[in-house]
Amino acid sequence: MKRREFVKKAATLTAGSLVMPYLLPSGRLFAKTNAPLAEHVVYVIFGGGLRQQDSILQRYLADSQNFAAEGNLLHNMLEGLPPTSKIAYGTGEGGTTPIPKILSKTIQKQGTIFSEMRAISGGHYGGLNSLVTGSGVAGQGLKVRPINPTVFEYARRFGGFKATDTWFIGNSIGNSLPLLNSSNHPDFGLPYGANFFAPNITFGSDGYATLQNAKIYHPQEELEPMYKMKNFLDNSFNIKKGDMPGIKNTDDERTKIKEFISNTFIRQAAGQLPMPPVGGGDGATMGYAAEVLRVFKPKLLVVNMSGIDGCHSNFTGYIQAMHRADHALGFLWNYIETQIPEMSGKTIMCFVPECGRNKDHNPIMDANDWYGYDHGDANSLRVFGGMVGPNVPANLMVGNEANPVGKVTDFNLTIAEILGYKNEVQGAGLIDSQAKSLFERI
Amino acid sequence: MPIFKIAVFSLAILFFAQCKKENLITNYEVVETATFGNNLNKDKDKTNIEFHSILTTNLFQKPSSINELTRTDRVIQSCGDKTLINEVIISNYMNTSFVKLPTRKFMLDSTEKFVTDTYIRFFIRRPTEAEKTWFINFINSNKANPNFRPELVYSSFSASDEYMFY
Repeated sequence: MKRREFVKKAATLTAGSLVMPYLLPSGRLFAKTNAPLAEHVVYVIFGGGLRQQDSILQRYLADSQNFAAEGNLLHNMLEGLPPTSKIAYGTGEGGTTPIPKILSKTIQKQGTIFSEMRAISGGHYGGLNSLVTGSGVAGQGLKVRPINPTVFEYARRFGGFKATDTWFIGNSIGNSLPLLNSSNHPDFGLPYGANFFAPNITFGSDGYATLQNAKIYHPQEELEPMYKMKNFLDNSFNIKKGDMPGIKNTDDERTKIKEFISNTFIRQAAGQLPMPPVGGGDGATMGYAAEVLRVFKPKLLVVNMSGIDGCHSNFTGYIQAMHRADHALGFLWNYIETQIPEMSGKTIMCFVPECGRNKDHNPIMDANDWYGYDHGDANSLRVFGGMVGPNVPANLMVGNEANPVGKVTDFNLTIAEILGYKNEVQGAGLIDSQAKSLFERI
Repeated sequence: MPIFKIAVFSLAILFFAQCKKENLITNYEVVETATFGNNLNKDKDKTNIEFHSILTTNLFQKPSSINELTRTDRVIQSCGDKTLINEVIISNYMNTSFVKLPTRKFMLDSTEKFVTDTYIRFFIRRPTEAEKTWFINFINSNKANPNFRPELVYSSFSASDEYMFY
């Protein structure tokens, strides 16, 4: 080889290796920038608007209804003695029977709690958007996908995960919740979106009537030719990226999800689905989330609860829903740690509400003559959150009323750090500029 | 006399050069032209209710009730992969006795007509030559598979991207 030719080829190769990213076998474009802290993340949106005074500050009725009754309603999450009077947060007639504790050791003892964080928005959809995007944009309109990429899109694009590795389990199809599995950002969007189920619909009476009788086709003799024909037809019709009606799974993933739908109806009829011992409300959503975890063992699952939002007009229902949500969260963590060996000890669970609630009550009284609380003032930006699992410091409480530490937008970056692509998310420049990984906040 | 000749000659020229009455065409013939378009202009996606209203009418030859359509719409919204959930719903429809499908014999004996009819039925257009050839070859290559039925062809058309647009 001539010297000039050698220099030319060497220069081309060097430039190529710098400009063109190396495609790793996992499908990732770049090697992970930090060592993952865990293999899986379960992110629980403890949502609906959780008032700081009634939850982590454990003031029960003292700071809301002017009764001298204080105590902890979240006994799976937090240390603290339960109220001793005016018990109405449990089950049964008048809510006088507290739900038995599931976890032998509270989440607080097992992990780290950020007791005084700041939310981005005092509203639900703005708050949910800030949780899934990590963005400080509060003016997100309803009925449109988030402007900035979601935690799912970062996971799939930078983590190299497939669609069935990322799931969003919603508790309804209201409040534009089904739109939160992907943004409409041109560099991310539906090609990197997560699978979504609203199990109360998908596996409720509507889903039963619409899906339960679906045929199970033979994978080779029926499904394979069907997919071949469909793929031929889709390749002949050039759908624009912005016109995609939903996320896309591969043929194998579609087959697996179809089997999941069919099996879920069968297991539901046989009473085999994992459900919290005390059901109702958000409990069912958490049960179906556990079923998704059992079957798919996803890298990232986000589950949303919102039962506590009844506080607008029913304070008693709110404290009962809060107690049930704690029960459901305890169930989910216990299920992961004891029933899914592939995820046990390899999963970090994060939790936070999308917003708090107002300092002052509204004029609506419930059957106990207790006032309701709306959300939207400065007090509704006060929230608490936490995480538990490998590499998370145990028995640590960070921040307090006088010293707030952390923002809800920190969770996106925290998840990126846990799964090993924090620098890419920061480099994309689309999250809250003040956001930090919670591991940095500690 | 010469003046007379010139006048006669001029009159003769004027006679032959005069304006003539046009032959009015009173009968128009119609040239037969296919009215099925191509897929290039399909850029509006059907709503969930539109999609299933059209689909059920197509498969059952009768429209669904608004209650059924609303219920189906809610179920579609509850799933992130619209194509996937449509496939499940379609297979649910295929599992009823009311669905009207061509026979397997017709598909195998009159494959070209079956393919053209299916394109017109679902996509409101004729297949291109390439599409027709591909499908005819594909159906012929699956003749030995007893499970390869018109139901599978209809399902793949119903679940295709093009069927979601108009």
